[in-house]
Amino acid sequence: MTSGASEPIEDYLDRLLLTLPGSPRQVRHTLAEVQEHLHDATAEGMAAGLAQHDAEIAAVRRIGPSYAITGRSPGFPRPNAALLRRTALAGSLVGGVALVAYGISAAISWVLAVVRGGTFVTAPFPPGSYTRADCARWLSGDPSATNCVAAMTADHVGDIVLQGFTAGFFGLLALLAFWTLRARWQDRGTLTALPVGSAEAAGAILALLVMVAGLGSGLDMEIVRRGQGAGQPLSIAVAALCAAAFFAVRLRRAVRTRAT
Amino acid sequence: MRSEKLKGNLDLLLLSVLASGPGHGYSIITRLRDRSAGAFDLPEGTVYPALHRLEQAGLLDSNWEVVAGRRRRIYRLNLAGERSLAEEAREWRSFSGSVSMVLGGST
Repeated sequence: MTSGASEPIEDYLDRLLLTLPGSPRQVRHTLAEVQEHLHDATAEGMAAGLAQHDAEIAAVRRIGPSYAITGRSPGFPRPNAALLRRTALAGSLVGGVALVAYGISAAISWVLAVVRGGTFVTAPFPPGSYTRADCARWLSGDPSATNCVAAMTADHVGDIVLQGFTAGFFGLLALLAFWTLRARWQDRGTLTALPVGSAEAAGAILALLVMVAGLGSGLDMEIVRRGQGAGQPLSIAVAALCAAAFFAVRLRRAVRTRAT
Repeated sequence: MRSEKLKGNLDLLLLSVLASGPGHGYSIITRLRDRSAGAFDLPEGTVYPALHRLEQAGLLDSNWEVVAGRRRRIYRLNLAGERSLAEEAREWRSFSGSVSMVLGGST
């Protein structure tokens, strides 16, 4: 069975398999022993009136943490293929969403630049910090610009959009890799190598932190610099909020699936 | 009983339980709990590394048997285990007697 529903004994045996030391034969024998033990303890619990699921939970609690059987410190799990696969899945999900969110923020910045002007998205360099040659280069890139500052901000907005769309493209590739690998790595060892919802929780926290930072920076520029450069951090805040909502929905679904 | 104190004497207790007859892991744990009237109630998983260690030390033998349709690893005390049990039991009685004498003198 490979559904996400809670199977206390199966999940415990998966965790144990990942950390058991010894030869393949020793690992197989210990797993078989512990499996029989857990089934005995479950039968005892059911004979005492517990439902099977509750009896399995009680059996797992009674046998204790997996490191009691392995003799290994819980703080130093052995690196293994399942853990690496689960970490790769978590990384591609969080990284992919982050890059796509950055791409979305670039699109928002572009819209803001059209609606409120380039200086709202990116603050121009202070006078004296650039040369005539810089101005000539910016103006050559945007012949429709009426002055150096307008050409400069148009150039910077273009850079923001280009970087954001490039990041978004790679983010989509990362998410494609995530969904492809997620469909391939359906074994419970991989699925339970990290706590359920850990990637989503980490992603949501990260996105919320970025949102708060972006919002604070945007508001600061709105107040202190009369809006110059506020557009980009505000765009990032909006995109980060979308990412946080995405992770929150996935986290809720993972927790509810786990509970059933 | 505190589990650390129990773990320090787990080998002796397991040898003693197996002296009354062979058994698989779960039955050994059940017998240990019953014979101690529930006082020795440690995380059950800790028994398995101890059983494996005793087997590696040559004090136990084990083999897989089908019992009531289920494949079980049955542990047995061998001759070296019986000797070790007798030695450790003698040491324990001597030690606990000495501790009792000291405690008795302090009350």
